[in-house]
Amino acid sequence: MVLSLWRKIRRTGRVAEPAPPPPDAAAGPAVAELAGSVQIRHVDAGSCNGCEVEIGSAFGPVYDAERYGARLVAAPRHADALLVTGPVTRNMAVALRRTYEATPEPKVVVAVGDCARDCGVFAGSYGVAGAVRDVVPVDVEISGCPPRPEAIVAALRSLTGR
Amino acid sequence: MNLVALGLGAAAGAGVASALMGLLVPRPARAAAVGLGSAVTGAAGVLAGIAAMTGQTWSMAAPELLPIAGVFLEVDALGGLFLAVAGAVAAVAAIYGIGYSRHHADGRAPQAVLPLFVLTLLIVPIAASVGTFLVCWELMALTSLLLVLTEHRRRAQVGEAGRWYAIMTHLGFMAILIGLLVFTAQAADDTFPALRAAAATLSPAVAGLVFLMILVGFGSKAGVLPLHAWLPRAHPEAPSHVSALMSAAMVNAGVYGIVRVGFDLLGGGARWWWLVVLLLGALSAVYGILQAAMSTDVKRLLGYSTTENMGLVLVGVGASGLFASAGNTVLAALAMAAALLHVCNHAAFKTLLFLAAGSVLHATGSRDLDALGGLRRGMPATTAAFGLGALAASALPPGTAFVSEWLLLQSLIQGLPNAGIATSIVLPVAVAAVALTAGLAVATFVKAFGVGFLARPRSDAAANAAESPATMLAGMGLAGVACVALALVPGLALPLIGRVAGGIAGTQTAPATGALTIELAEVTGTLSPFLLTVALLAAAVLVVVALRVAAARPRRQEARLWDCGAGPMSARMEYTATSFAEPLQRVFDNVVQPVQDVDVTHYQESRYLVQAVEYRRQIPDRIERRFYEPVLLAVARWGRAGRRLATGSVHRYLGYGFYTLCALLIALVVMR
Ligand code: SF4
Repeated sequence: MVLSLWRKIRRTGRVAEPAPPPPDAAAGPAVAELAGSVQIRHVDAGSCNGCEVEIGSAFGPVYDAERYGARLVAAPRHADALLVTGPVTRNMAVALRRTYEATPEPKVVVAVGDCARDCGVFAGSYGVAGAVRDVVPVDVEISGCPPRPEAIVAALRSLTGR
Repeated sequence: MNLVALGLGAAAGAGVASALMGLLVPRPARAAAVGLGSAVTGAAGVLAGIAAMTGQTWSMAAPELLPIAGVFLEVDALGGLFLAVAGAVAAVAAIYGIGYSRHHADGRAPQAVLPLFVLTLLIVPIAASVGTFLVCWELMALTSLLLVLTEHRRRAQVGEAGRWYAIMTHLGFMAILIGLLVFTAQAADDTFPALRAAAATLSPAVAGLVFLMILVGFGSKAGVLPLHAWLPRAHPEAPSHVSALMSAAMVNAGVYGIVRVGFDLLGGGARWWWLVVLLLGALSAVYGILQAAMSTDVKRLLGYSTTENMGLVLVGVGASGLFASAGNTVLAALAMAAALLHVCNHAAFKTLLFLAAGSVLHATGSRDLDALGGLRRGMPATTAAFGLGALAASALPPGTAFVSEWLLLQSLIQGLPNAGIATSIVLPVAVAAVALTAGLAVATFVKAFGVGFLARPRSDAAANAAESPATMLAGMGLAGVACVALALVPGLALPLIGRVAGGIAGTQTAPATGALTIELAEVTGTLSPFLLTVALLAAAVLVVVALRVAAARPRRQEARLWDCGAGPMSARMEYTATSFAEPLQRVFDNVVQPVQDVDVTHYQESRYLVQAVEYRRQIPDRIERRFYEPVLLAVARWGRAGRRLATGSVHRYLGYGFYTLCALLIALVVMR
């Protein structure tokens, strides 16, 4: 088992894309305080899961967002940033607000996808409470339905500054 | 003045008087009268025992008192130790019993039997002839059986537990009887001095047979594998102060028997005896604590933990025999001292734990850890008592068991250099077993204390629990003081125990000396439990102060507890005893072999919608299944076959008698 895994690792080698040049504009005043290391809590506020697939690949071996200092964690208590996807449904509005409150300062909120920005295809639906910015303050927005992994990585790099 | 005689006389007088009081005093004052009387009995026993350990002796011969056998008593240092332990446990449990039995066991029978049980516990270690010993042993079994059955009208399981206990204890009695009778047949008479004199003339085969038989018999009393099955059954169902008496004092009688017959009467014996004892002990220790770690019934858990601790004691006894047979008496004395100190320590913390568990049962009516929790608020004293007991049982400094297990490990490790092949294989295995046991014990008692007493209450009964009456708290307090004393200054007890152990192993050198700092003889090893505790406390205080100072810098903020954004968190989301033990159960899956069952019911309209999920998990005692079920089945089959002989016809029965007599006569004629 372990041996075949090693063999596979050796045969495959490195698949990550070469790193593009670092971003020049930092997103907001919190970035300096985070000092290049951003722990991220992902919150699905009601997405169709398309955005999740792209976030998954942004943290996968090809785009490898972790090499820029971004890392997904399992609880807002450990997090510096929230990565919110989907329109905020009525069921998730309170939970999102509480997650935001539970995140220690300094904190950054990233709205991922068109839904998170302005409810996208779900705008006006009976179950939707609003866009992410209607519920919690948003610092960075990523457009696209779903946004490409490159766009997500670029946005995250603007947080880590690397 | 002979304190031994004084103490024993007082104990006998007080015991008999309190038994009478149990019969005669009316209900309102009965529990108090009997409890005080039994406490005096126990205290007098302690006095006699300690006097005997310091070197006083006393003996009594009354050949006419019992028909045929007579009564012979003799108190020596070894008997004195077990006498003192039994007396101390009895005194504490009796005081506790005053408050406890008012609601659970203040009928005439249990109250009259309790002092008698205490008395038999005191007499067994000082019996000095096979007849006296066996009579007392049987009385001890019968009185404890009656006490186990106290609440049989209220719960059906009590009867079942009583049956198991009665059968197991009598099978053990049979084994002891056979062993000692074979031994006695080779001696001039049945007194212990005569047996001692005859031991030298025994052939190795006979001596081995005697030892194996008594090992089976005494092992079943000590709850050693595979004869432990009665322990986790009888302990939960007995009233709690009786559980404490049985688990902390009565099981010691098994150890006493093995030491008395193996070392004293048989005079040491072959090496394989002690290898068997050591292996049985190691197996019992690991298996017992593993089952305890899986238990959710707190008294059942404590019962299995008794198997574990008796296993540890037997590891010490076995190692001691091993060293003695190799001629290293000082090391033998050290191992024996470790075993005997562990007997004392186990008695102290097991009494405390059973009494605290009884206090919980008294307040909530439940022994199920999964239904308890949050008792800290309603029952602070009981919580403190159980916490202290759990610490004492966990073999961590500054716990009570830590000192004796340290001594035990020292003796096992130091014994390695001068060992033969078998020994040099067995000793490291024993060291590993003791270490594994210690680790599992920590997990077990963290579970019992954390799930049972901390966090939030999981049932209304636990939420409304109120503290127990003063006598029960007093009992727990006394046991707690004993635990703390044994943990901090074992140097108080160790010289006496060392004398006893030296006497058994046949050496004058004290195996361990020093009051505050224990120093071992002939091997390098020092330990100061007191200074260790002071250092630990200082470190803890330092950490707490540092945290406070550090936390005060940026001011503390009130924040909502993180509940995944949902909430509110209910008690159902807490760790239960079952879920706490689950990772451990996975690790030992092959050993414990749990039986799991998941039943999912779907809605009729759609297979995708779930109506109910039912989850059942059971951890059956595997040894019980393997060893007992086939035997029980065979017995049942035998019984069915036997029924064919008994058809109900009187003629047939008369015929049986006639033919048996004829066959006997013919056999006699032929053999003459
Ligand atoms: S933005 Fe597109 S992909 Fe993302 S949640 Fe909305 S609909 Fe799905």
